[in-house]
Amino acid sequence: MMRRPDWLPFDPGGEFRLGPRVLPGRVWTASGCFGYGLTGRDIKASDGGSPFDGLGAVVTKTITTSPRQGNPPPRIWDAGSGALNSIGLENVGLDRFVDEIIPALRQDRVPFVASIAGTRPGEFGDMTRRLVAAAADCEHWHGVELNLSCPNVAHGGVDFGRRPETVRDCVEAAVAEVTDRIVLAKLTPNVASIAELATAAADGGAHGVTAINTLLGMDIDLATGQPVLPLRRGGYSGPAILPVALAKVDEIVRESGLPVVGVGGIGSAEDALKFFAVGAVAVQVGTSQMNDPFSAAGIAGVFNGS
Amino acid sequence: MTTSDPWRLVGEVESLGLVSSSMYELVVGLEDVVSFRPGQFCMLNLGGGREMVLSRPFSILAVDGNRVTLLFKAVGSGTRAMATCKPGAPVVFLGPLGQPFPSPDTATAGQTAPRHLLLAGGVGLPPLLAWQRAWGREGDLYLFGGRDGGDVPWSLVSEGWRCSVDRHVDVPRNVDAFVGNVVELAREILGSVDDEPRRVLACGPLALLRAVTAFAGERGWDCRVSVEERMGCGYGVCRGCVVPRADGEGYLTACHDGPVLAADAIDWKCFGRAEGGSPPVSAIGCNRPEQDTKS
Ligand SMILES: Cc1cc2nc3c(=O)[nH]c(=O)nc-3n(C[C@H](O)[C@H](O)[C@H](O)COP(=O)(O)OP(=O)(O)OC[C@H]3O[C@@H](n4cnc5c(N)ncnc54)[C@H](O)[C@@H]3O)c2cc1C
Ligand SMILES: Cc1cc2nc3c(=O)[nH]c(=O)nc-3n(C[C@H](O)[C@H](O)[C@H](O)COP(=O)(O)O)c2cc1C
Ligand code: FES
Repeated sequence: MMRRPDWLPFDPGGEFRLGPRVLPGRVWTASGCFGYGLTGRDIKASDGGSPFDGLGAVVTKTITTSPRQGNPPPRIWDAGSGALNSIGLENVGLDRFVDEIIPALRQDRVPFVASIAGTRPGEFGDMTRRLVAAAADCEHWHGVELNLSCPNVAHGGVDFGRRPETVRDCVEAAVAEVTDRIVLAKLTPNVASIAELATAAADGGAHGVTAINTLLGMDIDLATGQPVLPLRRGGYSGPAILPVALAKVDEIVRESGLPVVGVGGIGSAEDALKFFAVGAVAVQVGTSQMNDPFSAAGIAGVFNGS
Repeated sequence: MTTSDPWRLVGEVESLGLVSSSMYELVVGLEDVVSFRPGQFCMLNLGGGREMVLSRPFSILAVDGNRVTLLFKAVGSGTRAMATCKPGAPVVFLGPLGQPFPSPDTATAGQTAPRHLLLAGGVGLPPLLAWQRAWGREGDLYLFGGRDGGDVPWSLVSEGWRCSVDRHVDVPRNVDAFVGNVVELAREILGSVDDEPRRVLACGPLALLRAVTAFAGERGWDCRVSVEERMGCGYGVCRGCVVPRADGEGYLTACHDGPVLAADAIDWKCFGRAEGGSPPVSAIGCNRPEQDTKS
């Protein structure tokens, strides 16, 4: 067990309150990096632990109203200090999420936050309403995370998540549907001012923001002179982005005052503490969780002494 | 051999050696024992820290208690680091993962166990060599293809394997190597008509898998291939390692549904990059819906 640093105002191992909920822990897995929270239970470790031990929440893979097939492969690439991905939001869609995933998560007692994406603000409201109808009695469902980095058909292909007014409208639409669940807005770092987006999320009534989603990145295969990803650019994540993510979280905390769930490059308890130091209330583990299914559980274990 | 749940184990490099001019044999010692079925793979992270942002997938050749043997070629940054590692270097191992090659007992409905035809190219050898060691029988045919004589790990394919080489150089004097690819060798041996159907198992470069699939298709033989795709997690959570489904309904995953797949489950037209550095098939008219930069 790690000794709690003197400067840390809370116990990083305990449960904590966020908006209307008390969550079992401050270490979560990030959307897209641990599936729907149903895979990996069979993976064993010599100490007898499970990849789910001590997790505050699994943020499930972003779902859209209709299922999506995602992008052609290759979809993932180790670019040295970070990973590039172009999954293309492949997901099972809202119907299967409600009919199959939620019942299984409920049965397995996995604490979860559902990540959703829509193409207009009203769709975030509609999706949230379906989730509330399906999971209102599930004590392990803590809320929604709005993935606000989807192409917006209504605004000529400009990412929705880059316009403060749309961020506010999406949050407002989701908040209108919930009573005792969290609404988090997940923000893109690919903007001039992320604090402006956080302020817009606060105006919409968000309980907090998650920061950051992936940075736009690219790599070239020198054997062919071609981009490694078929669609040229993708999302950059992993160790290399930690300092960027930390700066963005710092900016949001200082300028908006909203609770922030920090994500970006976290792979150890020390990394997580850096986010707590700038004011994050919880952290998510993404790329490191793909690389090692025990990454987040290991960090939680350091904090709660198991 | 029994199926076993995957384990995440730490360990260290025990030995590294060359088994051909370009193929390395790596033995890692783990903190606990594991088991596997031929065709299953592991994710290996050399360094055990974050030097490798993503672990790399490797087929398992053999397991002896807590000792796991892999074969690999140095093709990029990760495998080059592996090729220069020293005994004692820390590793993190996740495995066994994925679906194995079928055992001879898993006969197609209503049939007796078929004879087998195994075709391996380059580092496609380990899962098939493991299969031969576990289940090989009289009447099965084992074929290995390499670039030239130096490329063939002769000590590993000494028992029962026939080899093909693209170029007849560096071939030891006492061995008989066919010049051509491994599918041409199969045609040479089996002739144009074969008496009895065989089950075909193959692992190797994409071009080999395509040719094998076509060959098995001509004869109406059951064909299983072990596919390679870039992996993120290896345990089914990221949807990074997808292979287009034959029915056009999205994708299979190489790590969870595969790596061993029925050849007729794959949409070969849309699978993999065209050879020789041309644009990926996705860019040359293989239409599958979503195309955007989002994760
Ligand atoms: C299920 C499975 C089993 C495998 N078993 C073996 C094995 O037993 N021995 C072995 O040597 N290799 C095996 N591979 C391939 C091996 O994983 C790659 O060679 C390795 O990841 C390359 O890493 P790198 O950092 O050296 O290369 P990078 O620098 O990442 O890439 C170098 C080159 O290798 C190609 N490449 C990288 N990863 C893959 C991949 N997953 N599939 C196909 N091409 C790739 C790239 O396109 C590039 O041209 C297997 C792959 C899979 C999916
Ligand atoms: C393979 C992969 C898939 C991802 N899918 C999603 C997703 O569906 N929704 C989302 O909000 N973020 C997604 N992300 C972004 C992560 O949740 C996280 O914000 C980002 O990767 C930064 O954290 P990390 O450095 O710990 O990975 C994905 C990231 C990766 C690497
Ligand atoms: S590598 Fe992640 S799903 Fe296959």
